[in-house]
Amino acid sequence: MSIERTAPAILPVSTAGPSRDTRLEAEVVDLFDQFRDRLLRYLLAFGLAIPDAEEIIQEVFLSLFRHLQRGKSRANLRAWLFRVAHNQALKRRQRNRRDPESLAADGIAVDPTPNPEDQALSTQTHRRLLAVVRALPEQDRRCLALRTEGLRYREIAGVLDMSLGAVSISIARSLARLTRATER
Amino acid sequence: MSYEKHPSDEQLILDLDGELSARQSRRLRAHLESCWTCRTRRQELENSIAELIRARRDEELPSADGPQALLKARLDQLPAPPPRIPIWALAGAATALIALAILAIRVLPSRRPVVHQAAIFSIPDSRLTPGAAVLLNRRSVCSAENTKNKTVPVALQRQVFANYGIPGAEPREYEVDYLITPALGGADDIHNLWPQSHSATVWNAEVKDALEDRLRQMVCEGQLDLSEAQREIAVNWVAAYKKYFHTDAPLPQHRQ
Repeated sequence: MSIERTAPAILPVSTAGPSRDTRLEAEVVDLFDQFRDRLLRYLLAFGLAIPDAEEIIQEVFLSLFRHLQRGKSRANLRAWLFRVAHNQALKRRQRNRRDPESLAADGIAVDPTPNPEDQALSTQTHRRLLAVVRALPEQDRRCLALRTEGLRYREIAGVLDMSLGAVSISIARSLARLTRATER
Repeated sequence: MSYEKHPSDEQLILDLDGELSARQSRRLRAHLESCWTCRTRRQELENSIAELIRARRDEELPSADGPQALLKARLDQLPAPPPRIPIWALAGAATALIALAILAIRVLPSRRPVVHQAAIFSIPDSRLTPGAAVLLNRRSVCSAENTKNKTVPVALQRQVFANYGIPGAEPREYEVDYLITPALGGADDIHNLWPQSHSATVWNAEVKDALEDRLRQMVCEGQLDLSEAQREIAVNWVAAYKKYFHTDAPLPQHRQ
């Protein structure tokens, strides 16, 4: 995987005021290019509106920059990114719940009827599948979304704070539902 | 784990995902070799994974260009990490500071209230106004007909003045301007607004307008990336003006 490949072991500590760690900046932008779409899809599956999700992603990568700048662990940055995004999304949703004006943006993902974009999708099956995904229990939907974005079970367990066993049961349950939907 | 019985969906998926131990996986595969039912089930599960991935591939996401440019601009503006200073140096610095403070008390006249009204902001404070862009691609930027800046609502103007420490500012003394112009995808957002002083004589709003027209023209003619244009204007519009007009001072035709 590319994260491990790009990771230098020691980071130079910038000493002068205006001089910036341009290499670190470039690395963070590179990770943004690799992960932005995946994080965005995850946050949308989470039920956030696009502007909220984009804002969270900005925060995630600014935090990543500070994290690396302080010379903190580079072990499994992929799981780190998803975990930070997940925690920010939880906070954002709590805030949205308190602020009734943005309530409308919440809960989009649990609407089981296909939205206009879905209707333009090529096949009936895809529409049905996405509707099934939207109707999954929240935690199952998150597990499945993280697995879809390529995370290992251990990483998913770490992001969602679940046991390994619970992750595998959740994924099996979701796939069984999806399989029933494709067979119909 | 015995596979005299048929394995569960969960075990089949764990095996597909490479999450079983080598020994468990061997036993499961031995069962699959002899069991058409379980092989079919595994195939069905794999098919629904494939369908899910295909369905998701069809979902369109907004372009990453704008957000990437915004991230770059924000990273550029983060403060450098504090240097690691040994304790003895700190002690030295403290002594020097005390000396300076004593000097300052003697030299400076008595304290006067800070006069904010005279503040001239040619370039915005990057902490208050890092720039913000909406998700637009080049085509929608270039097809927009009205390229003139919209007027900023008065309430938002007041908030900008307050953020800049000039709460009582007269709107006619300042133009609350977009850092990244809406004509280049700039957002209607407090992070993209700053009070540009009309008393700025050199790098004023008219000069910036000329830069914005130039950048938009370059973007629409394909000579410059939209994200790059947004980034340059957000990081330092004066530097961008100098770069694109090949000059160190505003051109006479842009000064009004």
